[in-house]
Amino acid sequence: MTRIYLSYSYDWSVIPNSIAFFERGLGVTVRIAVLSVIFSLVLGLLVALVRMAPGPIGLIGFLYVQVFRALSLYVYILFIYFGVAAAFHIDFDPITAGVVSLTLLNSAYMAEIYRAAIQAIDAGQREAARSLGLGSIMTFATVTFPQAWRIAIPSLVNQFTDIIKDSSIVAVIGTPDLMYQTIERVSFYQRPFEFYTTVAGIYLVMVLIVAQLASRLERRLQRHLA
Amino acid sequence: MIYLAAYNFDWSVVTDRWRLFVTGAWVDLWVASIGFALACALGLFNALLRTSGLPVLSLPSFLYVQVMRGVPLYVLILWVYFGVANITGITFTSFQAIVIALALTGSGYTTEIFRAGLGAIDRGQMEAARSIGLSRVRTYGHVILPQAFRIVVPPLGNTFVGLLKGATIMAVIAVPDMVFLANELNVTLFTPFEVFAAVAALLVVMVLFFSALVYLLERRLQIA
Repeated sequence: MTRIYLSYSYDWSVIPNSIAFFERGLGVTVRIAVLSVIFSLVLGLLVALVRMAPGPIGLIGFLYVQVFRALSLYVYILFIYFGVAAAFHIDFDPITAGVVSLTLLNSAYMAEIYRAAIQAIDAGQREAARSLGLGSIMTFATVTFPQAWRIAIPSLVNQFTDIIKDSSIVAVIGTPDLMYQTIERVSFYQRPFEFYTTVAGIYLVMVLIVAQLASRLERRLQRHLA
Repeated sequence: MIYLAAYNFDWSVVTDRWRLFVTGAWVDLWVASIGFALACALGLFNALLRTSGLPVLSLPSFLYVQVMRGVPLYVLILWVYFGVANITGITFTSFQAIVIALALTGSGYTTEIFRAGLGAIDRGQMEAARSIGLSRVRTYGHVILPQAFRIVVPPLGNTFVGLLKGATIMAVIAVPDMVFLANELNVTLFTPFEVFAAVAALLVVMVLFFSALVYLLERRLQIA
């Protein structure tokens, strides 16, 4: 039976009463997101290099990107936290399972960002460095990568916004992040609209701050190039 | 806590019930498709508001995009299913809630895609069509949209793939999709590795299939 209430009495006072829970959850969310972005940045670069290697090694990198990008974070978390943990007797705590999942997913995305940026660097740069006598590792570290990094940074920072948003899913395995704390408060106060609207606002603010950072970085990096 | 000495892999749990998994995957695909269709309709409407040139229309449309792209899908689902239901008294089925949430989150992306597509069409096209006597609506229908279509199809395809991945979260509100069914099996039989590996494999196959399709379409539609 469908009833439509004409007047719902909002009670927003439950929000200030729950500040401590939001703070605690936010701390966990930020920790998970920051750890994941750091690991993804490193792993993503490694995958990009493997992906660009010739022959069967490159194929492994290609498969990594295709498969690891194709899964949703929810499926990752269930598979790792329940499946892998049980089959191989690895006792993950929920935060670790969340960070591992986010890192596997986002390293695949970041590998493609790195690859596009590295390929955008003119081959003449590498040839010039090599002809000056630099080894291939030195050439990559001192000539190619510093230039590619500039191109990649805005997209990499944007990827961080996806990590923040996706990190909310770790709540399903009981990680005490922002989302989990909110769900707990909802079952305590029975005020889903007030709480979910507020938490949507908190995620939105985090995402907008990071996106703002990305566009500022982009402008600044382009100023250097001009 | 006592751990068993070894985990016994029992893939028959999956192979004996492959129909169940396929049924579940079908639910994911359907929900994602309906959500995507609604997201496209909403996105096109919003993009037209955005490009209208009237701040009264374009500003709300801009804010809408920022909000929809900035809020996690998980939050949106619970907001629709529990929050909106609570204040309005409309009890959405869990199926309706996930479709609405996907449409909302997807429309944030489709709006930007349609906006870019419409913006890429040369002004001269509009002027020429108007000057030979076509109305504004007919100009859009016969001249602008058909040209914008080939620009927007590849990114829209990618959005669909994103929504298909996102749709798997519907298990949290008990829509019987493949993840939900796998979870049920895990609870009764305790075979987490097999059932979630099966779900992961199904998702990879679906996503790669549609990604390949988008890639082929992209090459087909490229303007020579």
